[in-house]
Amino acid sequence: MLGAALVRLLRRTTLALGAAASGALAVPEAASAHGLVGRADLPIPEWLFAWAAALVLLVSFAALSTLWRSPKLEEDDGFRPLPSWLSRIVVNRATDVLAGAVGVGLLGLVIVSGLLGTQTGLSNFAPTFIYVIFWVGLVPVSVLLGDVFKAFNPWRAIARATAFVASRAVGPLPEPFRYPRRLGRWPAVGTLLAFTWLELAYIGSDDPSDLAIATLVYTAITLLAVSYFGSANWFSYGEGFSVYFNFFSRIAPVAVKDGRLGVRRPLAALAQVDPAPGTVALLIVALGTVTFDGASEGALWADVGTWLQDRFVDLGFGAGTAGELSFTVGIIIGLLVIGSIYAIGTAGARTVGGGSQVDVARAFAHSLVPIAAVYAIAHYFSFLVYNGQAIAYLASDPLGEGWDLLGTADKGIDYGVIGATGIWYVQVGALVIGHVCGLVLAHDRALKLYPTIKQAVRSQYWMLAVMIGYTSFGLWLLSQANA
Amino acid sequence: MQTRAARAAVVIGVIAAAVVLFAVLSGDDDEAPAPASRQATETEQKTSTETKPRARTETVTVRGGRAVGGVERLEYEKDEPVRFVVRSDVSDEVHVHGYDISKDVAAGGSARFDFRATLEGVFEIELESRGEQIAELVVSPQ
Repeated sequence: MLGAALVRLLRRTTLALGAAASGALAVPEAASAHGLVGRADLPIPEWLFAWAAALVLLVSFAALSTLWRSPKLEEDDGFRPLPSWLSRIVVNRATDVLAGAVGVGLLGLVIVSGLLGTQTGLSNFAPTFIYVIFWVGLVPVSVLLGDVFKAFNPWRAIARATAFVASRAVGPLPEPFRYPRRLGRWPAVGTLLAFTWLELAYIGSDDPSDLAIATLVYTAITLLAVSYFGSANWFSYGEGFSVYFNFFSRIAPVAVKDGRLGVRRPLAALAQVDPAPGTVALLIVALGTVTFDGASEGALWADVGTWLQDRFVDLGFGAGTAGELSFTVGIIIGLLVIGSIYAIGTAGARTVGGGSQVDVARAFAHSLVPIAAVYAIAHYFSFLVYNGQAIAYLASDPLGEGWDLLGTADKGIDYGVIGATGIWYVQVGALVIGHVCGLVLAHDRALKLYPTIKQAVRSQYWMLAVMIGYTSFGLWLLSQANA
Repeated sequence: MQTRAARAAVVIGVIAAAVVLFAVLSGDDDEAPAPASRQATETEQKTSTETKPRARTETVTVRGGRAVGGVERLEYEKDEPVRFVVRSDVSDEVHVHGYDISKDVAAGGSARFDFRATLEGVFEIELESRGEQIAELVVSPQ
């Protein structure tokens, strides 16, 4: 995953060679998983695992017996605008431009510090910003505060600024090309797959210059795509991070609509997700990659991963590539496990009706969003809370040259802010809450999808099984990580 | 069961069951299991299945820049004294992540660590310049 990937590679090679040479057992290599600082979470204790699993079952069956009979979230999201004076404080032309500028500035800082700064991952702004603040941090922020990324999206800001200037200079711009329906969210799926591969499998995953180059390449691709398909469609369907964070933002009770800040029913906006092609795949990628990241901290992967690496070395690959390949296989396995659970569930739901399996899969895809959110939160919470603090000194010294721009360069990471027990409760609590939210959304959708309540409830046995499967699996991953 | 009262009853029932279950299960919790002790010859150890403070010094032996027998797992409870020695046939800097404690070890020499396990979690201990993990420090809550 993140962190001294070369370190991990050497370790994997060591273990592989060691195991081959001396027959010693492969010891799980725990602490490198959240590598930027070399600390990993303790596994959740058995009693907590048992309690959470029991609670999940309890809640699920209680839900089954108290299900409401008509959809409550499907009509609209119950958006109620706040008084316009209040709204205008937060959402106005100036904050719009300012947020975009901040986003572009941060993008620039990532690229500059990545290319020009120290190449030690820990001491460079780029890796911590990308993986902790951006990739992980924006998940809870989006869940609580809405589509914050949209405001700070640097690519969107550049596109809008360019369009603004161009239309002043040359007059009305030509219409962008039509965004093909079949393309759907597949480009976003590609982006997320590429990013998570970079994060989890690639040797130089925390190499600042590699990250800077990847950022530049992605910026070029995105701007090209925007100029072709237009901002609106590309950022709604094609740009990976926009789609990803937008999904999570639909859980939030606040939103901005038509330039107006307002409140809405939590989760309701998820029912409005357009089930475009690629939507299911995107959520499977989100869940599957976090799943593999969690599983890679456990004893099973220590054995399987080492074995895979040996096989690749046998095939003639260098140690580095063998490591990348084995982790790529691991990611694929994670995707297959998550995907199969959903496939079985939707196949079962389909026996009740609702169209083809693809139709059913798309119909319920939105109910996976809370599960994806809590998987990420459970797995990365401590990473965010601890490594996130590093941004304080990295902001003062982004290139690792010994600067102190903000006076915070001598700060460190305070591990005392939360202990292992607190982390466990957050992890387990998140998974249980995500489970309940997923149930609620699936049930509501079933009521809309199926003509009779009886059919809706029957379909829900399947979706419930899927949810219980995901949540229990998530709990299990937490219980065997670094055990 | 569709009446509001019935639904409220179920919700309250679930919450009550959750609280009771939690109290029962967490009360039974008997802290982290005693760590498996893998010791090299020169160390003294007191193995105990109780969770009393342990007075022992573990040894991590490094040969050729790698830990002998794989990554050593050092298990402690919070606030226990952490004592271990790294014996290495190569010179390097031993770095305990999280605690951010570094000690140089000379080729053929040893580095002794003695600190309190104030931070919980699983921490990497590595040979800094080789980037090679030699041990992991596991600190569990009491």
